[in-house]
Amino acid sequence: MGKLTQIFPDTMRIAWLNLLRNSRRSLLSMLIISIAVFALTSAGGFGLYTYDSLQESTARETGHLTLSQPGYFEKEEDTPLGNGLVDSAKLVPQILKLDQVRGVQPRVYFTGLISNGSKSTIFMGTGVNEKEFDMKGPFLDVKQGRTLSNINASRYDASEPEIMLGTELANNLSVKIGDWVTLLATTSEGALNAYDFKVQGIYSTGVPELDKRQIYVHINSAQDLLVSKKVSTLSVFLFDTLDTAEVQTQLTKTLANMSLNEQVEITPWQDRAFFYYKVKNLYDIIFGVMGAVMALVVFVALFNTMTMSVTERTREIGTLSALGNYPNEIIALFLREAGLLAVIGALIGGIASAIATVTLMLVDIQMPPPPGRTDGYPLNIYLSFELLSYATLGVLFICISAAYLSARKGVNKPITEALIYV
Amino acid sequence: MISFNDISKTYQLGSQQVQALNGIDGQMSKGSMVALCGPSGSGKSTLLNILGLLDMNYEGLVSINGNAYPTDALQAAKLRRHQFGFIFQRFNLVPVMTAVENVAYPLHLLGYSRAKQKALATEILQRVGLGDFINHRPDNLSGGQQQRVAIARALVHKPSLVIADEPTASLDSKTATLVIDLMKDLGKEIGTTFIVATHDYRMADHCDSCINLLDGLISKEQMKWAS
Repeated sequence: MGKLTQIFPDTMRIAWLNLLRNSRRSLLSMLIISIAVFALTSAGGFGLYTYDSLQESTARETGHLTLSQPGYFEKEEDTPLGNGLVDSAKLVPQILKLDQVRGVQPRVYFTGLISNGSKSTIFMGTGVNEKEFDMKGPFLDVKQGRTLSNINASRYDASEPEIMLGTELANNLSVKIGDWVTLLATTSEGALNAYDFKVQGIYSTGVPELDKRQIYVHINSAQDLLVSKKVSTLSVFLFDTLDTAEVQTQLTKTLANMSLNEQVEITPWQDRAFFYYKVKNLYDIIFGVMGAVMALVVFVALFNTMTMSVTERTREIGTLSALGNYPNEIIALFLREAGLLAVIGALIGGIASAIATVTLMLVDIQMPPPPGRTDGYPLNIYLSFELLSYATLGVLFICISAAYLSARKGVNKPITEALIYV
Repeated sequence: MISFNDISKTYQLGSQQVQALNGIDGQMSKGSMVALCGPSGSGKSTLLNILGLLDMNYEGLVSINGNAYPTDALQAAKLRRHQFGFIFQRFNLVPVMTAVENVAYPLHLLGYSRAKQKALATEILQRVGLGDFINHRPDNLSGGQQQRVAIARALVHKPSLVIADEPTASLDSKTATLVIDLMKDLGKEIGTTFIVATHDYRMADHCDSCINLLDGLISKEQMKWAS
């Protein structure tokens, strides 16, 4: 077969040879296709990286699933922990039985005043246990000190309850590690209560507004301050974000089989990922417009290339028609050439995109902080074969359409005119 | 046998109508070589295009072996593919194909296997004296060699009719004689009818008969050659 393909016009070989007739023009077209595919896969890969990072940061912040009283996130509490969960101690062991679950973190959300003795300001507090910071991973940047200690550890001194402050809040209050601050909050019964806390760590969330207000304390300290044993929510962290829907279904069944003193609602991370969706919608529009512009550029370039090729080969088209080729067979010749250009161009674009991906993994290039944030983030792009396939199919379709429109005009010319075309 | 009856063809040139053929009749027997002669503008290319089914926009009736020419473009392409061969003044070989690929092309269109295509194309190229040039591209062949490749391409599938438009016009005298002899010998062997539009008396002299055209009509006068 190998020898035979050398002898007979293998259709793709002929298409390739036809492309080589005007190699500079073909190269230019191929380059345009490559750039388009590179731009689409790189920009899309950057988008995917951003989506993935935002998805992960959201899930690490809220938990992949959040268990709360129904409507907890929609309605205001009359008193602190008024809408809190009573049965959290019963729920946690049941949730941990699921293989996909990495951990369950109870949280107490509360607000109040924080004071260094001479200056006070409002805070937004979260009572957590020390494992919370393992779940957050790299999404909490401890600038000074450490995260909250394990309350069961021997070195933990219950008489010195710990607190972590956002950087801006620590600056405002002029406190440093080891200093003491006082939290003043309304208890679940409406009275005022105050506790002193020793500063254990100072951290940044990357969002200045949060860094000005946010604090973390141990959950039992928060419950003591609010005089309640309830928790606001239970955050369920999974090993894999993709398991979210499956675990939600399983948990719904588990909860239905439990005899609880209250109703419990499960909220997936997507329902609380407002920033994620805003960014995704914005990027989707940007990349959509960019894709459309690229498609137009490729179409115009290919239409021009194929029209020139068809015009130059008018006499050849006439000859092939005279020999008995049907119009669709002649059109197919040009479609194959355009297809070859598209595939090779896409391949080069894909390779360029892969090189860019690897380069960005090796070279640390930081993006400037997005609006409303203090920290930049590394510029990375994902090499998505799905995206590359779509881009390839897209340019293939565009190239073939452009070639079809050009070739159709050529084959519609009367044979007698085509044969004398100079 | 090819016969044509009452063939008329009118061209529209701007606001003017030009009568290229004016109700002409004729016939060619199987295996004959017929020359279409006449000065420029006499209508010989027009008649050649009509007989070769390249131009279907005419009045009158043309038939091959008793069957009328089709009026549908796809049917016409099918008939050309199976029963016609073409030789052009400028050879019209496909530049990216080698000699053997050019010759094998009509066989490819007829669905021959690759091995058969190669064998038949190589055989006929050897017959036309190009056995050593089968893998040469047209731009590596002389004019005479290219025309021989074109003759091989026109005859490789043993067509009933070969249409040749000024096949010797681009060739020197020696090569022209060689090409004419080749056409005649191979044509006789296969039993193909040749219709040749020509200004070349050497070509016309070798034909079995000559149809002289003048102003769209068949002239009874003997063609007066320029040299």
